[in-house]
Amino acid sequence: MTNTMLGYQNKVLRIDLTKKGATFEPLRMDFARKYVGSKGLAIRYMYEELEPGIDPLGPENKLFLTTGPLTGTPVPCSGKLSVAAKSPATGTMNDCSIGGHVGIRLKFAGYDMAIFEGKLKEPGYVLIDNDRIRFMDATDLWGLGSHETESILAKKYGPEYSIMSIGPAGENLCVMSCINSDYYRQAGRGGIGAVMGSKNMKAIVIRGTGGVKVNDIVNTTNRIIEILREDVVTEDNDFIFHDGTTAFLEACNDGGILPWKNFSDTTDEKWTEYNGEVLKQYREGKRGCGSCGLGCGNFLKIGDAICEGPEYESISVAGPNAGIRDPEKIVKFNQVADDMGLDTISAGDTIIWAMEMTEKGIHDFGIKFGEADKMIEYLKLMAKNEGVGKDLALGTKRASEKYGGTEFAMQVKGLEYPQYEPRGSWAMSVSYAVSDRGACHMRSYAPNAEVFEASAPPYTGENKGQLVYDLAEFNAIKFSLCICDFWGTITYDIMAELLTRVTGVEWTTEQMAEIGRRVINIGRAFNQREGFDRKHDTVPKRVVTEALKSGPAKGQVIPQEVFDDMLTQYYNVMGWDENGLMPEELIASIL
Amino acid sequence: MKRLKFAKEKCIGCQLCAQVCSAMKEGEYIPSKARIAIETCYDNGNLKYMDHFCILCGMCAKACPVEAISIGEYIQVDEEKCIGCGACAEKCPKHVVQIRDEIAYICDTCKGDPTCVKTCPQNALTFE
Repeated sequence: MTNTMLGYQNKVLRIDLTKKGATFEPLRMDFARKYVGSKGLAIRYMYEELEPGIDPLGPENKLFLTTGPLTGTPVPCSGKLSVAAKSPATGTMNDCSIGGHVGIRLKFAGYDMAIFEGKLKEPGYVLIDNDRIRFMDATDLWGLGSHETESILAKKYGPEYSIMSIGPAGENLCVMSCINSDYYRQAGRGGIGAVMGSKNMKAIVIRGTGGVKVNDIVNTTNRIIEILREDVVTEDNDFIFHDGTTAFLEACNDGGILPWKNFSDTTDEKWTEYNGEVLKQYREGKRGCGSCGLGCGNFLKIGDAICEGPEYESISVAGPNAGIRDPEKIVKFNQVADDMGLDTISAGDTIIWAMEMTEKGIHDFGIKFGEADKMIEYLKLMAKNEGVGKDLALGTKRASEKYGGTEFAMQVKGLEYPQYEPRGSWAMSVSYAVSDRGACHMRSYAPNAEVFEASAPPYTGENKGQLVYDLAEFNAIKFSLCICDFWGTITYDIMAELLTRVTGVEWTTEQMAEIGRRVINIGRAFNQREGFDRKHDTVPKRVVTEALKSGPAKGQVIPQEVFDDMLTQYYNVMGWDENGLMPEELIASIL
Repeated sequence: MKRLKFAKEKCIGCQLCAQVCSAMKEGEYIPSKARIAIETCYDNGNLKYMDHFCILCGMCAKACPVEAISIGEYIQVDEEKCIGCGACAEKCPKHVVQIRDEIAYICDTCKGDPTCVKTCPQNALTFE
């Protein structure tokens, strides 16, 4: 086997923050052949390099920025960057996918990966300017919002540079802190911002002016353009440019999976007060990521609120799930969360949990459903770890262990629920439970099959282990190619063809499925080594005890034994045992 | 004579135009060497468009002291004649001429069939 491959830069940048030094090393091509890039490759490196049991906020944790062989090529939707580390929220592995232009810039700077180790002694930021690496002082930036930080650095360096930064939440090691880039794009989940914060690293600034070499570039490019025209910018995908993820609001409401008031119910009859049509009136422009094609980002200004978005998740959590219907407040919530460096999903879910706690009289967090201004204010308190924000910055798992209300703390392993109510899409309860980083909707997205296309019955546990697996396998390989979720029509055939054309080495359709499975397994292997098993693959009590009161899924509750059965089905499909543990020989086979 | 036209309301800032341009002209995906550079960024709370592409205005040809640049249906640079003096780049109102290794690199609209236009996913670039 050769040690280099076209499409890759065949180069890893390793940055030692403690010693303020950088080294360059070849990419582990044995890993790349098994895990391709991005998500899969990052997890394989984490499995190799992160000692079991390390403190996610200690200097021994590492931050991995990982591209793939398609990054920097015109393969549509290929511009995303994996940002990975052990998660301070869950203790599991955590790989996030950030959009914007930072992914292609890292690749054009000459790297497949950048690995950050150790810890800066003083607040600083790292400048990666092609092969020139510099460690800069960030004393003046520390404490600033992520947006102001990016503005200052953008002014200093100019538009050729991409900036990743954290807000106060990341500095204060909040378990729901995110990393921002291009202002409005996030590596959002699992407290990845706190990993940067724990390393005293306020920002990463990247410029890349180099190139990416691929096999037979003229024919490869022409074929990519053909695929772009035939399979990406099609009528089916039109909604992404016109509406972006706001389109899901109607679909989820109609399907009975739009959560209402901390998942106590679903659907909102007044959803049109804050839907995509309303938000569109305030739109100023469209923006996609590098190498995009579809352009989901809606840049808008409404009152004094500005953001690129809001995405479905943020609309839901700061809208119906909080008992709020004011579009301006929803946008403001989104803007403030981004600026503070907070994940809108986890921060939002924690505040709406506090609203229910207060209304039920279990503990007075001083906030009730519908209190939009206070919700926005609470974000700042959480990010700064002040007042009531100190408790809420713990997230729903830890805060409910302290104050009660665990039965409606909507989380798995310490990661809060995304905005798809599983009682209206039963497989989703298992997707959340078995996801490699706690409750995540991107690992295996069941609502398409169970609700929107209605190709699988939503209110049954039958065959759901297989369904969750099939969807997870697909996303695991897709995200290891750095392909955005929005290219929904991509197939294993197209993936294999693109990889083959770009690298000049044959990749088969069958291999795509194999790699997808391997990626799921390596994530599980990492978590198993950290002590995770079946008892951590949980479902919030509310989902298995309270029937929904309204909407198309009215009356639905997932019986605990059905959830348990779906979980066992999934383990069986994966070849894991009854406790969700992987046999040692399975682990050995994927390394 | 057909020219590139740009409709910013359709542009998503994906830079696919520069990637395919560099593929066809440089043999690698290297936007920094492309004959077109259309990018967007956020600047002071606004979405800013930077649209550097050839509009076939002919300023480069007029500025050339050695008549190395000719304009027919598209621009041609005679590399034998070009002395890389940079007079064309200096006069280019769109700042899209590159001088490398004493040669001027100017968009030739892929000889009247621009790859960037064929690629532009939201049809922000047209050739008319």
